[in-house]
Amino acid sequence: MLKNYFKIALKVFLRRKFFTFISLFAISFTLVVLMVAAAIIDHVFGEMPPEKNLDRQLGVYQMQIRNESGSRNGLVGYFFLDRYCRDLPDVEKYTFFTAPSPIATYKGDEKIKLFLKRTDGGFWQMMNFEFIEGAPYTDDDEKKRNFVAVINEATRQKFFGNDSAVGKTIDIDGQNFRIVGVVPNVPSLRFIPFSDVWVPISTAKTDSYKKEFVGNFMGMFLATSVDKMPAIKEEFNSRLAHAEIPDKGFTEAVGNLGTFPESVARFFSLGPNDSAAPTRLIIGIIIAALLFMLLPTINLININVSRIMERASEIGVRKAFGASSMTLVGQFIIENILLTLVGGAIGFIGSFLVLQLISQSGLIPYAAFQMNFRIFFYGLSLAIFFGLLSGVYPAWKMSRLHPVQALTGGVR
Amino acid sequence: MIKHLIKLVWNRKRINFLITIEIFVSFLVLFAVMMFVVYYADNYRYPLGFTYDNVWNVSIDVKQESDDYFTPEQLETTRQLYLAVQDMPEVEASASALSVPYEFGGSYGAEEFLGKRVEYERDEVTDGFKEVLGLTVVAGRWFGKDDDGANFKPVVLNQQMATEIFGSEEAVGKTLGSTERTGMESRVIGVVSAFRKSGELAAPGNFLFARKNLNNPKDRPPRNLVLKLRPGTTAEFQVKLTDKLQAIAKDWSFEVQPLIEMRDAAFRLQLTPIILLGLIASFLMIMVALGLTGVLWQNVTQRTREIGLRRAKGATAARIKRQILGELFIIASFGLLAGILVVVQFPLLDIIGFISGKVYFYSIIVSALIVYLLTILCSLYPGWLATRVQPAEALHYE
Repeated sequence: MLKNYFKIALKVFLRRKFFTFISLFAISFTLVVLMVAAAIIDHVFGEMPPEKNLDRQLGVYQMQIRNESGSRNGLVGYFFLDRYCRDLPDVEKYTFFTAPSPIATYKGDEKIKLFLKRTDGGFWQMMNFEFIEGAPYTDDDEKKRNFVAVINEATRQKFFGNDSAVGKTIDIDGQNFRIVGVVPNVPSLRFIPFSDVWVPISTAKTDSYKKEFVGNFMGMFLATSVDKMPAIKEEFNSRLAHAEIPDKGFTEAVGNLGTFPESVARFFSLGPNDSAAPTRLIIGIIIAALLFMLLPTINLININVSRIMERASEIGVRKAFGASSMTLVGQFIIENILLTLVGGAIGFIGSFLVLQLISQSGLIPYAAFQMNFRIFFYGLSLAIFFGLLSGVYPAWKMSRLHPVQALTGGVR
Repeated sequence: MIKHLIKLVWNRKRINFLITIEIFVSFLVLFAVMMFVVYYADNYRYPLGFTYDNVWNVSIDVKQESDDYFTPEQLETTRQLYLAVQDMPEVEASASALSVPYEFGGSYGAEEFLGKRVEYERDEVTDGFKEVLGLTVVAGRWFGKDDDGANFKPVVLNQQMATEIFGSEEAVGKTLGSTERTGMESRVIGVVSAFRKSGELAAPGNFLFARKNLNNPKDRPPRNLVLKLRPGTTAEFQVKLTDKLQAIAKDWSFEVQPLIEMRDAAFRLQLTPIILLGLIASFLMIMVALGLTGVLWQNVTQRTREIGLRRAKGATAARIKRQILGELFIIASFGLLAGILVVVQFPLLDIIGFISGKVYFYSIIVSALIVYLLTILCSLYPGWLATRVQPAEALHYE
């Protein structure tokens, strides 16, 4: 029976090529936009090297200190991390690092813009960088204030061409670093590991960062297991509540330890202490996707409804020979899903090309969007969902056609 | 004629209802994009108030997150930096400022002036700022050495702010209220024609300049040096400049950037989302147009008998075309009406504060026009098809 449906569907599609084209255009365009969005979201949140064990990671990314009259907001200060976060219980590894800061540096007269991130040695333990050459620096380098740096491939290309870089020196922001390792480029959308150059924290030009409660740092912690995470958060909160704030006049500190998606959701909903934030963000994304699908869906329903009229006589015959409404609904929905799957396939190719285009445009540094199994799965379910959504109403309408009316040439 | 067309539309209400919804949603999508386009286009028309040719900015990073506090050493070093750039032959004029044009963020305030609450952006600048950025003073004067010993805080306003506070009265020489924080009253000494720090695409707003004096130990050090360079200075000067500054302040970092580059970056940041939205919206519109064409086409083939009858009774091809177009026009109008009714609610509920009534109105007009244009385009081919219906063929249909 399915084979018959398939044959009929194929005949119908080929009979009115313009309509098939319109439907396919609408379906594939919609899916391209949604799949590209999914790929970008996946690119930000999904697990990919150099990050690993994302499910067990907790981070503190923001800090606020306040009093009755005002507040100071920013990233976390090193003072707080150093003093209160080094010995959290059930933490296997931890790392403190700065946000990447843009630095202009010169090679001869040529201006090269780089991002510089200062990290401790633990950073390289936490991340799973694959070294192209050399090796990471360690906590020891950090302690001794060794001017060593790890650079990415693009920076090596800019400064040394295709030659090996390890052992050479690089002048950044008036400081001279010896390169100890080269790693592959990290996409700039990977918020935590991204940078062009990584150097030890202690090489900072001044040590005023050591006194800051709100500063330019972030901390990340790897829990020994997922069930220990609530306890770590609790301990963190109680330490923060009792922490001594060195900045004069500020009495209260607000910060949060959470997984990366939790922290992002919290950032957007701007409520500091809210565990429902991630769910709300996901619901928001789903609503946005549905709103976007609204217009294509109405368009497709419109086309489908008017195409039924064309098939009135076929439906009349089938009904006259005893096909039930349900059978016809089923047939039509299957036809529609078939069409959306074809559109989905075109959409896949389209999204692949669009992602390639974005990656190459340089709009997002080092972005290397890829179609992976997760995105394939999103796309497939989206296509089927879309097919159902746009097929149900026309199918129901078709099934209600009266056979006599249908045989004499359709309805108004 | 219109009454008759409405009747025809009503007769096929189910399919027409779906088209109405499609037009309605299309209008909403178009409106959302058009609002931003009209907003930016409207802003672009206003005078900028400064020039950016041959102006470079040096941003100073003192390696400290907060600028709530500073040390006397920091102020002294900043003064040294300022004096150093002044001496360079490539530099025509120089000034230092808390924030500079095209920079993201700034210092904003809202205060009660003469019983009126006024929101404004402020900047603290040294005397050279006017010359570097080519500001035009329209009343009073700019900051100068005379202000050194003054027993009031001199401020310069942009025309918009002066008008908002003082109306048609002369602003120069007037005192602004609020002395509690500074301990000294602020007095308006001049008015500049315009100053839109965030650039061409940002909405014109109120702007207040306060005078910064690098010799005053209580003034916090500025984080930017702006330089007007002699024409023909090349990018190579950046290296020389950075080296010179770095030699004075080893612990700090500097970034030299021509203002024109900052302008490009600001434009890119503001326009990229709009271009992306516009791209998606135009694809949606192409899709809608194709879909409508398909639906109309199908309608025409279905109504062969009706159209044939009209032809047989002597209707011309033009009249048939007009019928097809007219019907779609009416459907579109219903969709638009519903859309406008929804859209009008937003300003009433004060959801989108930064969009002015004028921008809102024009966005509605532009979006409605595009929808009508779209419907005309869509009915062209089906309309032509309808005129090809042969009366004879239509009359013995079945």
